[in-house]
Amino acid sequence: MSNFESLSKAVIAGNVGQAAEITKNALDLGARPMDILNLGLLPGMAVVGDRFKKGDMFVPEVLMAARVMQSCMEILKPMLVDEEVPSAGTVVIGTVKGDLHDIGKNLVAMMLESAGFRVVNLGVDVPPEKFASAIREHKPHILGMSALLTTTMLRMKDTIELLEEEGLRDKVKVIVGGAPVTRDFSEEIRADGYAPDAASAAELAKQIVGFSVSS
Amino acid sequence: MGNMVCPNFKVCVTPQFEVLTQDQRQQIYFGALEILARTGAQIHDERTLELLQQNGCQVEGTRVYFPRALVEWAVAAAPSYVTIYDRNGRPAMYLGGNNVYFGPGPTNTFHLDPFTGERRKPLKTDKADVARVVDALPNIDYAMDLGTPSDVTSTLADVHAFDAMVRNTEKPIVHWGFDVEQYEDIIKMAAAVKGGLEQLARRPFIVLYSESSPPLVHSKEAIAKALYAAEMGIPVIYTPCVMAGATAPATMAGTLAITVAESLAGLTAVQLLKKGAPFIMGGVISIMDMSSTILSYGAPEFNLLQAALAEVAHHIGLPVFGTGGCIDSKVLDAQAAAEAAQSILLSALSGANLVHDCGYMEFGSTGSVELLVLDDEIIGYVKRIMRGINIDDESLALEVIDRVGPGGHFLGEDHTMAHFRTETWFPTLCDRRRYDDWVAHGSTSLEQRLKEKTQAIIRGHQPRPLPDHVLARLDEIVSAAEEREAAKAKKRR
Ligand code: B1M
Repeated sequence: MSNFESLSKAVIAGNVGQAAEITKNALDLGARPMDILNLGLLPGMAVVGDRFKKGDMFVPEVLMAARVMQSCMEILKPMLVDEEVPSAGTVVIGTVKGDLHDIGKNLVAMMLESAGFRVVNLGVDVPPEKFASAIREHKPHILGMSALLTTTMLRMKDTIELLEEEGLRDKVKVIVGGAPVTRDFSEEIRADGYAPDAASAAELAKQIVGFSVSS
Repeated sequence: MGNMVCPNFKVCVTPQFEVLTQDQRQQIYFGALEILARTGAQIHDERTLELLQQNGCQVEGTRVYFPRALVEWAVAAAPSYVTIYDRNGRPAMYLGGNNVYFGPGPTNTFHLDPFTGERRKPLKTDKADVARVVDALPNIDYAMDLGTPSDVTSTLADVHAFDAMVRNTEKPIVHWGFDVEQYEDIIKMAAAVKGGLEQLARRPFIVLYSESSPPLVHSKEAIAKALYAAEMGIPVIYTPCVMAGATAPATMAGTLAITVAESLAGLTAVQLLKKGAPFIMGGVISIMDMSSTILSYGAPEFNLLQAALAEVAHHIGLPVFGTGGCIDSKVLDAQAAAEAAQSILLSALSGANLVHDCGYMEFGSTGSVELLVLDDEIIGYVKRIMRGINIDDESLALEVIDRVGPGGHFLGEDHTMAHFRTETWFPTLCDRRRYDDWVAHGSTSLEQRLKEKTQAIIRGHQPRPLPDHVLARLDEIVSAAEEREAAKAKKRR
């Protein structure tokens, strides 16, 4: 029991070595992988999420905790059946054509990974055609587009139009963000969601995937 | 007193402070040289790559490693001060040493409407207002656009912003452009004002800035624009926007070293293309706030880093682009005034030369002319501090002290008449009335007075217009640019 608590603590502290050791020890002592996940790792991540929202923990610490979680999952995965491995889904993400702003989009990508998504990061200056072909190739649940310039945010619209033309639009949910992007704008271009920052982008993605699974 | 000799008497008429020692400045500079030599940088421009390779850089694909001596040569090759003129050809700014000048910032996403208080997309007419406000404010030395106009052809927002500014201020203009084509338009317009490119290059009243993409990436546009402007004889600013903890290490020293390395890569290319080209080192440097993930324009680390950057620039003898008068606050409240005042005082104390971003609210997302007007007041206050205390026989005033004697007063003295106006600073916004008088004048807050003053300037101030033939030429250049962009858009479709 107390092992799970110390595992949660190691997640919160971002201590990869310690968490991996506790995970291995627990397995050796006969703990069930699902219990390690549900009673140790996930409660730890929940605390991290909470503290981040309250402003008691900061981005690098959240990312570190997520890394701890992922490395423990690597240990557990072979012992879990597929349905038990919590994977939220796949997201293809990129900064739109003509735009070189990288960091915001990368932060969103990292937060999505932390939330359990597989992320395909197309980088910056991504033309609509490249988004379309990545959707064909990776079959993501979500397409994320970032734009930091008033002049480039219109490329989001171009991309959505291209997806419509190519019959890909109903295969993905599209989310958008970046400093000049507003909720109104996202509705105008018929995106499925908008998030003002990386943490809410991850929340939004989880919500979207939840909806699409149940509906 | 007059005949007295005071050995080693240290005269300090402009107060200064230092955040780095000489040795530490040298360490940062060496750190930057080391980064450029060992880690190198990515440069996405064929012409620049060729230029660098021909001059001894090791080039592998887009990766460039800079020999230390080459960068040091470039530092020495650039002038240590740059003179910028006003639209009328008078010297307006001597950028170098500890000379400090203030101006607004560029390209904000939103505009705080000084009449309605609404945060909305900027319009071209706002750029004209910004320029007129700049023109009217005594402590604002040059114009920048304070927002990207949204009601014009989007790929010509830069050209239109310049068009609006150059018609509405006689002060120098620091500007930007999306790509080399827009630089061409803008330089053509500036040349039209001066009666030719040669005249413009001899007495430049514009400075053009471009930005690398930290860490250590130089986009095609950024470096190509810098080279083009230098070639045309226009002073350039090459300025990375660096975030400690995100695009640079979380430590102040590492962040500074990367910032300097970014700018020096641009400097080296510019000097190789045109030895002696006027170059201003830049860097908007702060922390990424690890809670909100913004780049903070009000953090203490921001002020510390900007001051340190100015010191490194002084150390290597380059003029420097400073940052101040900017805030994280979303409204003009107590946080706003505190943040603006700190950064203005500290940039002045550090001797940063071309301090920009006055009027930046919401960490640069929103531009506000009201904040610019507030900044002007704060700059006035700070300039008074910077003038220091002059000590000589006349100002020490022993004669008049002796004449008035114990129990007298100085109000009626000629000495007072002769000095009080120049010795003291007179506020235009800060209220010093006695209580009853303040009530009689409407019990106003600073915010109310600020709004009033800003609106009065916008309604009332009109700089001297450009001659009709110049205005016609500006129209032609803008129309030609519009045609070019329309043709491009057609081709794309
Ligand atoms: C998929 O779903 C989602 C959901 C949420 C999403 C999302 C996607 N994407 C983002 N989010 C959201 O979550 C993220 C994390 O919480 C957030 O991302 P952000 O990116 O907002 O936040 C980051 C974590 C931190 N913030 C940033 O990284 C941006 C900071 C600022 C200062 C900025 C930077 C750093 C840069 N810039 Co640029 N730059 C500015 C920015 C001003 C500012 N104060 O924001 C802005 C965006 N830049 C601007 C400009 C004009 C430019 N920039 C340019 C260049 C650059 C640099 C390359 C120097 C550099 C980027 C370096 C890099 N490696 O990325 C040029 C354009 C280059 C190009 N073609 O893209 C240039 C044109 C400047 C020039 N004259 O050349 C302005 C845009 C104005 C406008 N409305 O068009 C600007 C607002 C600056 C200003 N105050 O005026 C949210 O927006």
